[in-house]
Amino acid sequence: MKKKLLSALLSVAMVSTMLVGCGSTATTETESAPAAEETATTEAAATDEATTDAAATTASSEVTYKGDIEIMHYSTAEEENSKNGGATAFRYAIGEWEAAHPDITLTQNVLSNNDYKDKIATLAASDSLPDVFMLQGMNTANWADQGLILDLTDAIKNSPYYDKYTQSYFYAFTADDKQYAVPALTAGTCCQVLYNKEIFKAAGFDEFPETWAELIAAQDKIKAQGVDYVMGFANGDAWQANSCFLSTLGDRFTGADWTYSLIENTGSKFTDEAFVNALTATKDIFASGLFNPDFNSASQQTGNDYYVSGQAASVICGNWDATYVYTNADPELIAKTGIAVLPQPDGATASQKTHDIGMGYGLAINPKVAEDPEKLAACLDLIYEITGPTFADYVAENFALTGLTQTADVDLSAFDQFTQDCYTFNENPGCEIYDSYIDSAVIGVLNQDVQAMLSGQMTPEEVAEETQAEYDSVYGN
Amino acid sequence: MLKAIRPKNKVIVMYLFIPVLIYVFTVFIPLIAAFYFSFFKWKGGPKKTFIGLENYANLLTDKVFWSSFGHNIYLVVACIIGQIGFAFVFVLMINSRLVKFKGIHRTFGFFPSTISAVAIGFIWKIIYDYSYGLLNYFIDKAGATEWFMNVMNNGQPLVWKDMTSHIMLIVSIPLIWQFIGYYMVIILSAISSVDQEIFEVAELDGANAFQRAVYIIFPLIKNTLLVCVTLCIAGNMKAFDHIYNLTKGGPGTSSMVMALYGYKTSFRDHNMGYGSAISIGIFCCSLFVIVLSQQGAKLISKDKGGAE
Repeated sequence: MKKKLLSALLSVAMVSTMLVGCGSTATTETESAPAAEETATTEAAATDEATTDAAATTASSEVTYKGDIEIMHYSTAEEENSKNGGATAFRYAIGEWEAAHPDITLTQNVLSNNDYKDKIATLAASDSLPDVFMLQGMNTANWADQGLILDLTDAIKNSPYYDKYTQSYFYAFTADDKQYAVPALTAGTCCQVLYNKEIFKAAGFDEFPETWAELIAAQDKIKAQGVDYVMGFANGDAWQANSCFLSTLGDRFTGADWTYSLIENTGSKFTDEAFVNALTATKDIFASGLFNPDFNSASQQTGNDYYVSGQAASVICGNWDATYVYTNADPELIAKTGIAVLPQPDGATASQKTHDIGMGYGLAINPKVAEDPEKLAACLDLIYEITGPTFADYVAENFALTGLTQTADVDLSAFDQFTQDCYTFNENPGCEIYDSYIDSAVIGVLNQDVQAMLSGQMTPEEVAEETQAEYDSVYGN
Repeated sequence: MLKAIRPKNKVIVMYLFIPVLIYVFTVFIPLIAAFYFSFFKWKGGPKKTFIGLENYANLLTDKVFWSSFGHNIYLVVACIIGQIGFAFVFVLMINSRLVKFKGIHRTFGFFPSTISAVAIGFIWKIIYDYSYGLLNYFIDKAGATEWFMNVMNNGQPLVWKDMTSHIMLIVSIPLIWQFIGYYMVIILSAISSVDQEIFEVAELDGANAFQRAVYIIFPLIKNTLLVCVTLCIAGNMKAFDHIYNLTKGGPGTSSMVMALYGYKTSFRDHNMGYGSAISIGIFCCSLFVIVLSQQGAKLISKDKGGAE
């Protein structure tokens, strides 16, 4: 019997080996950016200016620190190669800064976004975050509470580029009126419709239909133009329906105040009628036959691929997908591609023509860095540079994209119509992205339940109730 | 064993101590750490709040956890039947005198076991793909699309990874496919260790293939099969990577398994304390299932008077 018990225990131990090492398998790519030949002008000259108070008050040109700085981000070389504007400019700005500071050894730990999320969560859990890293908006409140991120409120005010910052982007990184990160990479919409103007014109639409009802009524006419599906979409990872659809559609029903109240936990509930209506509308729209039948399980690029291959007449996507479509589609298709906001659902009156936009990640600093004021000054300087004009001018000139720092008027004439349209699309009224703000555990439940709802396993009411229950338990209501 | 070539006890203990040390470090310490963390509200940072048994109270009423447990049990049953059952049948076929190129069959049978689970996930993702998948391609070529639509999906299009009611079957097929070869090797070696004369005698006595399989081979390798069952249970209680790559537990939670749920809770929802409680829950559930299967195995051995 003893032997049996022992063998049983051993077999269980085999099972339990999964307890270790989840998430530690991410591959790391440690690299040092090639030193650019040109020397940066401002930083080198101004070392004679004496500064004593290094913490928070330093401007960009007063870096005296000599030593190591570790930065972790997800702008990989692969993304640069696939012409992702944000990643390319990010890597460019880091390279520039590194070249201008030869005394500092900058160690970059670069992972793909998916691996990055796992790795940074593991590092946060073991309180061993790198000096500078990308903070996801939804983690701000929790990590600030845990003391994992340094309060940058004053440092941001002292930034040499403070006047040029678009202040609204800081909202995602604010907790208890303190700002914890400087928004990084590009600001782009998470929800736009790319459509084939020719097909819609032939079906009788000079512009993209303004309401879902119109679009649904016209679906046979559109399909008769030789496409299989009216719209392409892919929700296989379960976050797309939330980030690229529900955040915008929800805003049309609830309006911005409801969302702010939800973020700040001052009364809004997922079970409020307006939000349940938004969920119901989502369910009905996806059940209307407009979409590719595998929309709920297809992986990331599938929806875009249907559009690129001409099987779908339009696609709902975020700005990163627009880049994918742009680089993969036939130039002829790009030339006849129009960009529109999500149509208006029936019964939604709180807002119109909105699209969710923001900057999902910001650069944050490990509080341990503050023990060495010189190092802190250097880290801040690094952050100012890779979110400042070096970055913003580069993305504006090369990709017609915008970041945190505003640039002088961008000359769009050198770009093709599609790129220009992408740029001007952002002038539509913006709304917030739920998963930039709401706690990750609540978003996890919402994503999962919306996916279940779209496959017919749950009703909108059940989704709202379960999400609200998680919200209550996380926010301690 | 001969005294002369037997090393000193001290030497044996010292050599054995090394794997034990590694084992303790990689298995028991994390297990104890997870047990400790499971008493805290820990959102993934230096701050932990002691909350006693609250995580466990939540776990007991957590619908997702228990449905994941159910899915694991489904996998165990499907894989015992699929992996060991098919492996047994295939081994009998390979061992048959009528089959040529036995080496090739063995190699190709074992081949999928050597592929990493991530690659298997991708291979089957492509097979199941709605528009470009092999499966739908062949069904379409066979002109059976409509029939499959009616039988499998109430007349809806054949989006395999979205068929909530059959999703567990759909995710278990790659798992079964991968490990048949593995159990084939174990069963083959068990059969080859049995005196071949027994089979010859049986054949001379006029036992047909089925009778030989059920009344002679099966009882003789019963203990090996029980080991296979234990391995199969242990393997499937910790199923993770295939499903993570195929469906990520979706749609919703309809293909969620316990390990995947623990991972999601810990690393995606940043809920490390509850994630630890889930890990301990997995440990207890697995212990329960394995003890149960051992007791079952003991009963089977007793009933048929098997040699122990």
